Amino acid sequence: MNKQEILGILGAASRDPLGYARAWKEKTGRPVIGSFPMNFPGELAHAAGTLPMILQESDDAITLGHGLLFPFYCGYTRSMVDQAARQEFRVLDAIMFGDHCVQLLGAADAIRMQLTDTRVIFFQLISSMNDPWTLGRARESFETLKTELEEFLGKPIDAAALHASIKLYNRNRQLIRALYDMRKAGTVRLSATEMQYIVKSSMIMDKAEHTALLEDLMAWVKAHPEPKGTGVRLHLSGHFCQAPKPEVLEMIESCGTVIVGDDLYHGFRYISTDVAESGDPIDRLAEWYLARNTGVPCPTRVQNNVDWDAFLLKAMREEQADGMIVLMAKFCEPHMYYYPEVKEAFERANMPHLLIETEHEAMPIEALKTRVETFVEIIKRREAA
Amino acid sequence: MNMIVQPEKRANKLKSTRIAGKLVNDYWEMVWRAKEEGKLVCWYEGSAINPFLEAADIVWVHGEAYSAMLAARHQEGPAQQAAEERGYMKELCSYARTHLGCAVSNQRNRNDTDTGVSNAPDDNDLASKLPPPDMIISAYAYCSTGQQWDEMTSRLFGKKIPIFNVSIPWVWGSKPDAKYLQGREWNETSAYVERQLMDMVKFIEERTGKPYPWDRLRELMTNVKRASELRLEAMDMCTATPAPASFFDWVVSIAPINNLPAGPQIVDYFQTVRDEVAARVASGEGAVPKEKYRLFFDGIMNWNKVGWLAEKFARYDAAVVTGRYTHMAFWQEPGLIDPQNPVLGMAQNYLICPNNHAAPILIDLIMGLCEKYQVDGMVIHASRTCRAFTNPQFLIADAATKRLGIQTSMFEGDVTDESFYKDELLNSRVEAMLEAIDSRRMARA
Ligand code: SF4
Ligand code: SF4
Repeated sequence: MNKQEILGILGAASRDPLGYARAWKEKTGRPVIGSFPMNFPGELAHAAGTLPMILQESDDAITLGHGLLFPFYCGYTRSMVDQAARQEFRVLDAIMFGDHCVQLLGAADAIRMQLTDTRVIFFQLISSMNDPWTLGRARESFETLKTELEEFLGKPIDAAALHASIKLYNRNRQLIRALYDMRKAGTVRLSATEMQYIVKSSMIMDKAEHTALLEDLMAWVKAHPEPKGTGVRLHLSGHFCQAPKPEVLEMIESCGTVIVGDDLYHGFRYISTDVAESGDPIDRLAEWYLARNTGVPCPTRVQNNVDWDAFLLKAMREEQADGMIVLMAKFCEPHMYYYPEVKEAFERANMPHLLIETEHEAMPIEALKTRVETFVEIIKRREAA
Repeated sequence: MNMIVQPEKRANKLKSTRIAGKLVNDYWEMVWRAKEEGKLVCWYEGSAINPFLEAADIVWVHGEAYSAMLAARHQEGPAQQAAEERGYMKELCSYARTHLGCAVSNQRNRNDTDTGVSNAPDDNDLASKLPPPDMIISAYAYCSTGQQWDEMTSRLFGKKIPIFNVSIPWVWGSKPDAKYLQGREWNETSAYVERQLMDMVKFIEERTGKPYPWDRLRELMTNVKRASELRLEAMDMCTATPAPASFFDWVVSIAPINNLPAGPQIVDYFQTVRDEVAARVASGEGAVPKEKYRLFFDGIMNWNKVGWLAEKFARYDAAVVTGRYTHMAFWQEPGLIDPQNPVLGMAQNYLICPNNHAAPILIDLIMGLCEKYQVDGMVIHASRTCRAFTNPQFLIADAATKRLGIQTSMFEGDVTDESFYKDELLNSRVEAMLEAIDSRRMARA
């Protein structure tokens, strides 16, 4: 298969995650476990022989969800509740999560009330990341989630299977990170939407199938070098639980820019960190949870000794990015809290950035385009000066 | 409905709650004097950890209480503006925004002073007058926004102030043994929070450089427990018809139970309140002159509007007799507190903040209150920036209608940002609800 054919498969799964899940279930007869973003380790559910899938915002307009969650909630939570109310999650055997953004908790309650036949398993992961007991508590949480999953499935999760799942997940992450490196170096051309499809489909598809496709993709791109993309080099930041809409990404690229890095959840954040492969797997998952936040700090956690803004500036130096576009999902409180810090740090560092608030509903792409064009002009003028 | 609103229908507020005003003023005066008196200051929000601090002679500043006080005095503007100037957006929790605005003002003044420009806070500028923290303790149940707010405070002060995080997990309650205050999850979570509180005490010891005065904490918690019992006893008396006190009286009584010094004065306060309520029951005096409807208030308070709302409902002959914010929070399970060994009971009271139980348990508790106080309707304040409170509101409204057959009405507002409050909407929705209650009564008659 060539690059476009592979990306076609990944794109199809990204656009219709529940359709993929239904087909997988029909083919394998095995359970599908949905999870909420952003820190549930899919390895646990994978080792139990299920399809772990991170539940995705849908493109559909909110209908029944209006009667369950107020309009001043982020698009992700509103869409999740709406999908539950429309019984679209029927393919799921269970939902698991450990994150506790306050809006997500509201959505979880509403979803549990809608899906009376679906088990919703929750155990709150500690979000204060550098307390003496953070690691121990994270371990306890993963152990509890594992036990609950075992109870639900009626069989133990075998340590060897968990090791194998961790290994497979690592391989998958490594391949995507390698693509990131190649994009940064200009040895592969992947648009922001294509990169999103690669990562998003990894959240959805059977990991072995996805990894095999990535191996093919890697072989193909290595064998078919493409000319380096030109334009203003940008980093995309923000957007946590939900994937930015492809039309927004395409609009940004249509303004003479090339995306060279990101810290989006449907991007580098998801695949940033591997789980160590030796020793007790639950210990290793707990360490992974902590390491992820040190590597790519997340505004949904609190950690006094890491700074998201410092991470962004460093990443951008490595990417040789000329500027950053912040994609903020409207009403996302964690992001709103940290944005002033980022803004100040970028102003101090004299690094241009542009904030775009995104919405679940249709967005005024033309008006946004004007803003991005102006931003690109400013960068170009700075560089010419 | 052509609701005839007679201006003479005033809310008959409890007289004893006036004492609360004085206690609150004394408390803030103490806070403002803290630095002059060489006291350590701790900022915290959410859970009432203040007895731990008061015992150690640390001056405690409850972020929400400060924001609420500013809003109640209609002085929240400068703080909110300072926050906005730093980039905190309007959709963020307005309690947090207001309090962070105080931190921004404080830092600005300090930096201006560093550059030699005298910008000492004017005595009336309450945003800048708040003494900066020497330590921060974060112990927020349920709401992630609370924890992030504390982190931002620490960052605004350049991460130079020691911060201690207590993680209070949400009680999800999905196991068959999960019930209110029962089950494995409850026990495990209680023990987890208790352990962290013990570590918090060590953190306090490090700050004061002194061994922790446990006896003092025992004394304070004896007062808290007694004050809480009296408060609940007085609230219980409001099952009487007409209700002798309203939700708004209990709102005014939040500070004494939640964040004022826990000396004998809080026991005296609630004793006086209780006695006044008892006297009203005996004489048949109601919180509204002509009680025609009894309502449940769901949601957090609209602090710029306490008096306004009390009067509004009185004009409608509606006694707001109970609510989630007042009746399901603030040391509401005194039975769990053993003053001799108080930490576990304190942890458990923190765990039962009115949002920290997942919907099934929360809704059962609310339905229980509606039945106990025999309400005819439920008014739901959808506070724009406090999602912790709005999260389950559609589910609560649905349960009220389906399980109890009572009317509900929602209105938009906010904790401390007045611009989200829509008076017209509230009027028309409440009137529609009362009209529906009337029709139902007529149909039954
Ligand atoms: S982190 Fe942001 S996007 Fe995710 S659930 Fe919370 S508000 Fe929504
Ligand atoms: S959103 Fe509500 S519960 Fe959360 S910190 Fe603000 S006031 Fe508190």
